[in-house]
Amino acid sequence: MESMVVTENLTKVYGKGETAVTALKGINLSIGQGEFVAVMGPSGCGKSTLLYLIGGLDRPTEGKVYLDGQELSTLTDNQVTEIRRRKMGFVFQFYNLIPVLSALENAALPMILDGVPVARAHERARLWLERVGLSDRLDHRPAELSGGQQQRVAIARALAHEPLIILADEPTGNLDSRAGDEIATLLRQISSEWGRTILMVTHDPRIAAYADRIVFLKDGKIVDQTHLNGNAQEDTRTVREKMEVL
Amino acid sequence: MTFQWLLAWRYLMGRKQRTILTTLAIVFGVLVIFGMNTFMPTFVKAFQTQVMAAAGQVDVTLTHKIGEAFDPSVLEKVRAVDGVEVAAGSLERVINLPADYFDRDPNAVDRISAVVLKGIDPEVARQMIAYNIVEGRFLEPGDTHAAVITRSLAREVGVQLGGTLSLPTAIGVVDLKVVGILPERMMPGNEEVLVTLSEAQQLLNMPGKINIIDANLNTMDEARRAEIQQRIIEAVGSNYKVGALESGSEILTNIRNAQMIFNLMGFLALLMGGFIIFNTFRTIVAERRRDIGMLRALGASRSTIRWMILAEGLIQGIVGTAAGLVLGYVFGYLILQLIVPIGQQYLNIKVGAPEVSPSLVVTSIILGVGVTVLAGLLPAQSASRVTPLEALRPSVGGVSFRRIAGFSFWAGVVLLALAAGILVSRQAALLGLGAILMSVALILMAPALINPIANLFGYLLALIFARNGTAQLAEGNLSRQPGRATVTASTTMIAMAVVVMMASVLTSLSLTFVNIMEKSLGSDYLLMPPTLAVWGSNTGAAPDLAQKLREIPGVALVSTLRFAGSQIKDVAVGVLGIDPQAYRQLDGLTFTSGDPDSAFTALEQERAIIVNGVLSSAAGIHLGDEVTLVTPTGEQTYRVVGIATDYLNAKTTTGYISQKNIAADFGRDEDVFYQINLKPGADRAEVEAAFTRLLKNYPQFKLLNGKAYVEENRKMFDAVFFSMYAMAAFLAIPSLIAMVNTLAIGVLERTREIGMLRAVGATRRQVRTVILSEALILSAIGTAFGILAGLYMGYMAVKTFEALGFPMTYIFPASGILSTVAIGIIFGALAAMAPARQATRLDVVEALRYE
Ligand SMILES: Nc1ncnc2c1ncn2[C@@H]1O[C@H](COP(=O)(O)OP(=O)(O)OP(=O)(O)O)[C@@H](O)[C@H]1O
Ligand SMILES: [Mg+2]
Repeated sequence: MESMVVTENLTKVYGKGETAVTALKGINLSIGQGEFVAVMGPSGCGKSTLLYLIGGLDRPTEGKVYLDGQELSTLTDNQVTEIRRRKMGFVFQFYNLIPVLSALENAALPMILDGVPVARAHERARLWLERVGLSDRLDHRPAELSGGQQQRVAIARALAHEPLIILADEPTGNLDSRAGDEIATLLRQISSEWGRTILMVTHDPRIAAYADRIVFLKDGKIVDQTHLNGNAQEDTRTVREKMEVL
Repeated sequence: MTFQWLLAWRYLMGRKQRTILTTLAIVFGVLVIFGMNTFMPTFVKAFQTQVMAAAGQVDVTLTHKIGEAFDPSVLEKVRAVDGVEVAAGSLERVINLPADYFDRDPNAVDRISAVVLKGIDPEVARQMIAYNIVEGRFLEPGDTHAAVITRSLAREVGVQLGGTLSLPTAIGVVDLKVVGILPERMMPGNEEVLVTLSEAQQLLNMPGKINIIDANLNTMDEARRAEIQQRIIEAVGSNYKVGALESGSEILTNIRNAQMIFNLMGFLALLMGGFIIFNTFRTIVAERRRDIGMLRALGASRSTIRWMILAEGLIQGIVGTAAGLVLGYVFGYLILQLIVPIGQQYLNIKVGAPEVSPSLVVTSIILGVGVTVLAGLLPAQSASRVTPLEALRPSVGGVSFRRIAGFSFWAGVVLLALAAGILVSRQAALLGLGAILMSVALILMAPALINPIANLFGYLLALIFARNGTAQLAEGNLSRQPGRATVTASTTMIAMAVVVMMASVLTSLSLTFVNIMEKSLGSDYLLMPPTLAVWGSNTGAAPDLAQKLREIPGVALVSTLRFAGSQIKDVAVGVLGIDPQAYRQLDGLTFTSGDPDSAFTALEQERAIIVNGVLSSAAGIHLGDEVTLVTPTGEQTYRVVGIATDYLNAKTTTGYISQKNIAADFGRDEDVFYQINLKPGADRAEVEAAFTRLLKNYPQFKLLNGKAYVEENRKMFDAVFFSMYAMAAFLAIPSLIAMVNTLAIGVLERTREIGMLRAVGATRRQVRTVILSEALILSAIGTAFGILAGLYMGYMAVKTFEALGFPMTYIFPASGILSTVAIGIIFGALAAMAPARQATRLDVVEALRYE
């Protein structure tokens, strides 16, 4: 399997001197094309940091990130930006949306930024908003949506432009279990049917069980990895056990 | 590109209140610049004509080479010359009066043996020269048999307003009704009788003729003036000769100084407008960091972000400029209307609508939109530097503020030192630069100072609002966001600096003027020679006249001046001989350096000289210098014991020495000017009669009631200063509104925070107190800084006038400062009121959601 993401000795240190925090300590990770990987670990172990580095949102202190064969640190800001716009879809943990834009406009944002004609961008955005169950909230502003609805808009936005890789930080954190399952199923489908690569951070073993592989992080290091066999209940149990060990 | 506009538009519409407030900032910037310029030309022109009138001069006078009358068509040719602001034709003739024409007393000396009949076009003439009517009205175009004369002529011939003046003319003796009175004539030459042009043409039997054309030019630039004069000559042909105001004359210098001050005010307005707009965008970027970060994370490039902010600036710039143009016009119109009554009467400003030239509109638009975009550039740049992480992990970047604050503090100290250097150097040309340095220095120093100051004021407020402990909260808010607090306080600072500077300059200017005028002319009576401007051409009187005057019962003091022409280092000097003791008592000299006691003593005991301001700057003379005076008997060395100025000679290079020395070195002992004070309780009528009797043999002198003269002139000055205050208000009011605006935005910005406060249990009252305290602290800081900057700028301006030889004493604007403090507090509270109301009504749930 060809690798979509490869990290080499990825290290991130926040701050300097006494207050320095090493969030990631030499992560070597490879994610295949079309693979659905979940990252789990206790709070503060560096999950978000890993996601940001892979997404080119921040620069590593040491080590490299290859995305689709390109090493990110050799690119200019504009080139990385363009990659984010075209090849990546993001769902963040908090504050995902632009408050002055409607749900539809928010979902269409990456395409609009990329110069896709508005009509076409909106059409695609509408389709994905319907898929996440928001067809009746298209023209609402973020302030008029619940936390879970906002998160679903963010997911529609991450998927609508059909990126190569989707980076999701707790995409189901604000959703009830049924809605969470729907989203996870959707991600699963995107991965297996359209061959998109997905890197998802989650706390929920049940959601993690939808992935092909789970990477366990602790104190900035990969401590374990599990390939799942596709049986939801069994997988969930395995994950639960592993998490308890951590 | 379209996306940026969409986002910009959405942000603008999404926060209507904020958008309205920030656009208002632009509106005020443009309003001040545009509005001020719509009436500034009118005002400057009025000021110019006023100064010209005081000197009895116009820019250019055109006459026929052999003095003949000519056809008014020549006037049209002059008017057509590019650069001629206004031109007026008049017909003037000296009317020689038969002996004893007015007094009908063969024994009395005829004081008026001729008058000048001057036919003018009442409307145009008033644009040329400010005729300062003290009683009645000025001529109107349709007047027949109506005349305007001076107070002195009226007294000499014994007519009053509404009375009849009979003059022998080409068509026989004609009765003219006196419809208006001008101030006493102090200029050389015959008294003038003003009538309408058509009347003069009829009386002088010269139908359809004029013999003088007066013109004012539209520039102060010397090269341009020469060029325009040349063009006038070319236009009218070689049969005419042009007399022009000498370049470099004091009048021109004064007008230039005034224009410089006006320009400085315009510049400050622009600076403030730009600053307010900058502040707006800075706030916009600061509070939108998270959104910007998110856009970046999703793939918006730096230039997309930059353009988004600039697009917002452009939209607001255009809307704000358009509104500013309209409101500026209205405001200019209102100010003019305010000045109209006074203007008409004293300044003779012909006020119609404000003047709007296409170039002014274009300049205003460029400035309005340009400054907005420019002010948005830096914030847009900083917005483009926002990293995607800002959205995900906000509040990075607070750390670096300390470093920046430290750096900018020291940069500010350096600029402050430079500004102080300029102050010490007293370089007039650097006034504007000094003002800028000073404001920038304070703005730079503000971040570092805001914490300690906020702590101090917070402590004070805590004492006031002791019970609910919310003042600390407000103070804490400010200390946590020193950047924002700095900008808000700086805006207040500039607004206040403008007010204080205006107060300084205006108080100093008006008080100095009136003081000096009172000192120099405020003696009970003056005996004036025909001309004050050219002492040397006067025939004086031997010392026995002074003696006789002193002997008149009721006279307390007679101080006389004697004159001799001389030179110091190639500079022509009018040397005035004074009786140090008597002159001292009149207190006519205002010292700028040296001390009066020792100076007057030195004058009596040695070859000592007091020089006036103009002379000291023209010849580079300092206190204590030895100067060489050219005298008929050779050169003499005098020691400079003081630099001091009196009103009458303020504009001419003058030195004062003792009468003993002027007799010894210049051989002069005739008195050319007398100042007389009466004993308390003296019978004025009796004394005046005695003077008149005595002066029969001295027809060269004119008796003048000094106090009355000062009163008459004071009205004129009051009018000038009133207009200046009106202009100060024009600048200050928008500044204050802008300040309220900025404070209000500061509160709006924190809606969410306030919601959080309410959510965790703050009462409405507590929230209100927090906001009020914050606004008060900010306006207190701004006001304190503003007073500092304003004092500096005011002092600089006054010193600049002084350096240019204009007699000014700096007067500390104590009342101005008190009112500034009051204004600061009132407007601070005002600024907090609306947002505080809103904040207390805030729906907590709404506030905690997205904006
Ligand atoms: N800007 C920063 N400065 C200093 N330390 C930071 C910064 N950002 C993150 N950290 C630290 O880095 C570590 C990893 O943070 P990260 O956000 O990646 O954790 P996480 O695994 O996503 O936690 P959670 O599950 O709670 O979201 C944490 O200990 C955090 O305190
Ligand atoms: Mg996280």
